[in-house]
Amino acid sequence: MTSQGAAGGGRVQSKLGELARAGVADAARGGALLQEIARAGAPTPAPEQLAAVADPDLALLALTRVAEAPGGRAALARAAAEQDTWRRLLAVVGGSAALGDHLVRHPEHVAQLSSQAIPDAAEVLADDAVPPAGAAVTPQQAASRAALLSAVGADPAAAVPVAASGAVEPLRLAYRAALLSIAAEDLASEAPLKLFERVGAALADLATGVLEAALAVARVQTPGHEDARLAVIAMGKTGGRELNYVSDVDVVYVAEPARASVLEERAIEVATQLAAALQRVTFAPAKEPAIWQVDPNLRPEGKNGPLVRTLASHLAYHRKWAQTWEFQALLKARPAAGDMELGLAWHEATRGFVWNAVESANFVEDAQAMRRRVEENVPPAEADRQIKLGRGGLRDVEFSVQLLQLVHGRADPTLRGASTLGALAALRDGGYVGRVPAARLAQCYRFLRVLEHRTQLYRLRRTHLMPSAPADLRRLARSVRLPRADTPAPAGGAAKDPGMELERAWRDTRREVRSLHEELYYRPLLPATARLSAGEAVLAPGAAKSRLAALGYRDPEGAMRHIAALTSGVSRRSAIQRQLLPVMLGWLAEGADPDAGLLSFRRVSEALGSAPWFLRMLRDSAGAAERLSHALAASAYVAQNVDRSPDVVRWLANDTDLEPRQAAELRAELDAIVQRRPDAASGAEAARALRRRELTRLATGMALRVLDDGAARFAVSTVAGVALQAVFDLAAAQIADAAGGALTDVAVIAMGSLGGREMAIGSDADVLFAHRPRPGADEAAAGAQAVAVASLVMRLLSQVGSEPTLEIDPDLRPEGRSGELVRSVAAYREYYGRWAHTWERQALLRARPVAGSKSVAAEFMAVAEAARRPAGGLGPGELKDLRLMKARIDAERLPRGVEPARHLKLGPGGLLDVQWVAQLYQMRHSFDHPELRVTGTVEALEGAVAAGLMGERDARILIESWMQAMSIRNANVLWTGRVGPAQDVVPSDGRHLRGVARLLGHGPAAGASLPEERARLARRARQVFDRLFYS
Amino acid sequence: MDRQQEYVLRAMEEREIHFIRLWFTDVLGILKSVAIAPAELEGAFLEGIGFDGSAIEGFTRVYEADMVAVPDPTTFQLLPWHGERHGTARMFCDIHTPEGEPSPADPRHVLRRALKRAADMGFSFYTHPEVEFYLFKSGTGRSTNPLVPLDSGGYFDHTARGSTNDFRRVAIEMLESMGISVEFSHHEAGPGQNEIDLRYADALTMADNIMTFRSVVKEAALAEGVFASFMPKPMAEYPGSGMHTHFSLFEGDQNAFFDAGAEYELSKIARNFMAGVLRYAPEMSLITNQFVNSYKRLWGGAEAPNYICWGHNNRSALLRVPMYKPGKPQTARVEFRGMDSAVNPYLAFAMILSAGLKGIEDDLPLAAEAEDDVWALTDAERRALGIDPLPRSLDEATRIMGASELAAETLGEHVFEFVLRNKRQEWAEYRAQVTAYELERFLPIL
Repeated sequence: MTSQGAAGGGRVQSKLGELARAGVADAARGGALLQEIARAGAPTPAPEQLAAVADPDLALLALTRVAEAPGGRAALARAAAEQDTWRRLLAVVGGSAALGDHLVRHPEHVAQLSSQAIPDAAEVLADDAVPPAGAAVTPQQAASRAALLSAVGADPAAAVPVAASGAVEPLRLAYRAALLSIAAEDLASEAPLKLFERVGAALADLATGVLEAALAVARVQTPGHEDARLAVIAMGKTGGRELNYVSDVDVVYVAEPARASVLEERAIEVATQLAAALQRVTFAPAKEPAIWQVDPNLRPEGKNGPLVRTLASHLAYHRKWAQTWEFQALLKARPAAGDMELGLAWHEATRGFVWNAVESANFVEDAQAMRRRVEENVPPAEADRQIKLGRGGLRDVEFSVQLLQLVHGRADPTLRGASTLGALAALRDGGYVGRVPAARLAQCYRFLRVLEHRTQLYRLRRTHLMPSAPADLRRLARSVRLPRADTPAPAGGAAKDPGMELERAWRDTRREVRSLHEELYYRPLLPATARLSAGEAVLAPGAAKSRLAALGYRDPEGAMRHIAALTSGVSRRSAIQRQLLPVMLGWLAEGADPDAGLLSFRRVSEALGSAPWFLRMLRDSAGAAERLSHALAASAYVAQNVDRSPDVVRWLANDTDLEPRQAAELRAELDAIVQRRPDAASGAEAARALRRRELTRLATGMALRVLDDGAARFAVSTVAGVALQAVFDLAAAQIADAAGGALTDVAVIAMGSLGGREMAIGSDADVLFAHRPRPGADEAAAGAQAVAVASLVMRLLSQVGSEPTLEIDPDLRPEGRSGELVRSVAAYREYYGRWAHTWERQALLRARPVAGSKSVAAEFMAVAEAARRPAGGLGPGELKDLRLMKARIDAERLPRGVEPARHLKLGPGGLLDVQWVAQLYQMRHSFDHPELRVTGTVEALEGAVAAGLMGERDARILIESWMQAMSIRNANVLWTGRVGPAQDVVPSDGRHLRGVARLLGHGPAAGASLPEERARLARRARQVFDRLFYS
Repeated sequence: MDRQQEYVLRAMEEREIHFIRLWFTDVLGILKSVAIAPAELEGAFLEGIGFDGSAIEGFTRVYEADMVAVPDPTTFQLLPWHGERHGTARMFCDIHTPEGEPSPADPRHVLRRALKRAADMGFSFYTHPEVEFYLFKSGTGRSTNPLVPLDSGGYFDHTARGSTNDFRRVAIEMLESMGISVEFSHHEAGPGQNEIDLRYADALTMADNIMTFRSVVKEAALAEGVFASFMPKPMAEYPGSGMHTHFSLFEGDQNAFFDAGAEYELSKIARNFMAGVLRYAPEMSLITNQFVNSYKRLWGGAEAPNYICWGHNNRSALLRVPMYKPGKPQTARVEFRGMDSAVNPYLAFAMILSAGLKGIEDDLPLAAEAEDDVWALTDAERRALGIDPLPRSLDEATRIMGASELAAETLGEHVFEFVLRNKRQEWAEYRAQVTAYELERFLPIL
């Protein structure tokens, strides 16, 4: 097995070739090292032995140094005499630079490599539950505990073992030696993925042994330790018996007085000293390197809480304060060291919290928030190399398994194990997840964990990052022993780079973990008839209901009916839906109203039946199905409109289809349709249909948050304008035809939010009608004709029909509702020149032509310009008029029964306040400052800042409040699907609030704070309004 | 049903308790009580007790007056004045909306939220109040029926006639029996005026304790045939009733205000905290001194601190740094002397904490210590020293708080808005009074 003695020159050459073939990167140096080892009188490895290790160069260097260390030669010679020991030695020095260094310092530890350090499979898989009182559960655990206690000079048989003094160094050495033998066996394994669970268990057993021994050492250092019973509870991966090589060891401490005569305060004081001493024993600087850090931060109140609590205090915290994630952390807890009786009492008393966590009111939200944290809490710089965090990382796997444990473990005690793989197996055996996805997930988890272990072993550093240097990747690849079978070398070419192969395998694994999520969570919800293969799990109705409820469905029974309906049958559609539905259920559950979304999807699916494009879209465009799910679960408005014309689903496949269409494009389309219609009424119907379609497009864009609110307001106004133009043309033509010719030219002037291009989906269109009799026409007859045109326009757009109406509101005309519906331009000139109220002129600030005769409109706008931009601004009387008018609106217009602060439009700091400030500035200054000659509210405020008239901060506060109010109003309509007075009020119902918060792009948790945020911005805006408007 | 709740149910049975009083506090700091029979308690734990909030100050919302009171079983206590057997017990409640969210109008929630913010910064907040109040034999304070103080003793007097001492003994026994530790009690400067100091506790417990304390004192007085009042300034010629309160922040079990090497052993955190409290003192005045009458105490002389400054053993300073007791770093603290005994302790603690935390966050520098007696200085001298006055009236305090972002954030928009509205109304009503002073001064000559 070993080639001994120096070699001749010719042999050196061939030897170098052999070394290179064995994977030695620097063969010449390798050869030299081999000679040095031989010169030192130590055995040398054969090339085929080197070929089996991760980093042969590293191995040779370490062997050379060990051989030259005092006692090293003899240790190596003894190792070489025994085949397994020699193989393990090579594996460990070739896989871990840090452990190689350790052997250089302690060659005597080579002897450690001869014994089996990793427990048998049977012992690990037997049970990962709690050990019975006082005893360690397996011989391996008992042996580990005994060895470490002996190393610190304590009696393993004692009830309260106390170490000899000065035992810190021996403990650390004993730990290193034990770690060395585990690592060696692991690294030498031909099938590390299979061995992983046993390695994790061995490391955890070593950790609990260290905790016990460190506690024994702490006792020597803590006078009066007899006063307290202290139990150390292992949490996290130590608790789950699936520990890493280098990791913090998570613990919590429980203490009680040792005797009735000891006060509780005293016991806590002593126990706290003990716990602090224990932590120092493992981690404080000393001659031998630290073991690991004990991390007690999972304790109640985290870092701010007392280090040690009594059992009662632990329980009081969990009853009163603990959050869902803390219960989840308790899942893995296991008494590890110290007073086992107390530890077990703690364990038993906390189980109720874990297994009833799913009943807590916030479970769904908390679980969703936790998943987001799992997926998002990745430092950006590391996002690309993280093995542990992020989607598809280790944490993702662990979270998925734990959530299923929490959901189903309440009813099924077999699922209450602490280790990830054990729990996954139990979930599989219980039929909660499919066999195939469970097996695939377990394989992914093992692979990622082995990657993590190997990466950590190299320098014994706590890292969860994939290395990126080619040499590091190559070493990692060789040590993981990727199965070669499925990666054949290209014919005739050089072997593929193992590092690249590893990188590819890693990325594939992450992707697979992500896709398995739906398979695990949602696939088993499908009824038995929808099973795709025999190995698939089908949940019993009770379990399915718990799972749907935990995932956010409020009516699990209804959801199960929809799922059954969508997946039953033999049609091509149901076949596709059987494939797709699990993932869609996940997308729907991310929305604010999964139940409504699922129902709506069922309707769409039934309506579209087997339209080939629909099936193709579902099958081929994952993006479209995802968007459909999100939009349906986010907005009742979208759902209703999709219900009505399911073919809008087409747009979802394509980003550009969700963008607002240009006015000219819409106009051209509408003109073409209208020409084919026989009369004005059916033409108007077409215009209204086009408007409905465009509103659905915009609503979908907003619900998916691909369209921002400002662009949406502009687009909604554009669509209204286009419909109005088309209907006006139809009406004017019909009236002229009936009268045998036009007597007058009419223009429609946009006012209000239409004029300002800031309409919401439910807004009315404010307009004025102006006309100019044609030369020679009778004035009265011309006027009557103009009124007929205006009335017809209004009727065509607002009479009840199959398409939604666009309400035309002409109340901003002179003298309001009692004024004439249409006036001639000359009459307007007269009115605005002599009679108009200041507020009527103010209304003209947002006037712009929208339909009808361009020359009449231009003439009207000249009149409006003079009225709305008085030279020299407003006189004192006019200022007083405006202020008084606003004060009256404030006093009179707010509807009863609405808390003023919640009214988005009329409440303090609401839309009207902001708009009136903007318009006051425009009235006073737009004659002198062209920046203010705009129709939009935000643009006017920005103009006032640009003109140096308004402070930037004031404008910002007003704009923030205005934008927020507009957005909430819009979201109200999208969420409820209803237009009406309720859209102007901040909702008070919790579900409605959550839905609105999502539409605004906040997390669902933001729902509860939305009224508060609205009140804050409104209050600030009101303060600015008070200052700017009344002074 | 958790163990604490089970404990309460068991205790009710064992001690034959016939009624449970559910206590909560309205926005003005007045204790509210709903009595329920023991049979209803289990339901109350599970679902809370619904009630119509529209009749309660600050809980009014036209559109959603329904509120749910959820008893906090950790506050379960027998009420000593109803006798041990066949007794009555009380629990404090958290107020929720029917949706199960904490009600924004619940002062306990306002304080919890502020404490959460402190906890997020790693701090817990402890308070130690010294509550002053008057005992009267009779009277309503009207000229026809003047107030008659229980005795004519002065500061630390041991009154010869025993009833004040008896009263204090009864009151303290009641408090101790309810688990509220009393540190100190003595006769105060005014006739019939007493002070009782409560042993320090975390702010939420202490706010509950203060609410309990006021009830106990009133009950104990009734038992002795007298009556007690926490009104800030019941008699113009005698000192008002303040509630000087000591504050400290802890990081774990370390007092974050203590720094062995620093001046007065005050850490940088303590100095920033003090700077925050001083900076925002005018903005929180409406909370720390919430009634028209509060400003009579502040501006009625008799050692009430009305100028914004700090000092070491300076009785005229708003914030006082007590003498450090060597070897007791846990006792490092600052004393805020502005509050009066009629305060809503939940809101006031929340405001002071927020102001202090803001000082820490913004690293506010602490102004120089006031070494003079600020009352003895002239206005010009005070201006030169940069010492500003607290608001002089409820009106001024209302205006100042109205512009305060800190107050809006700490109280929440709902409570903030309610307090302002309520105080504007109180001021309007007060202004409409024709006072005895006016009648005496003007009626004869005009």
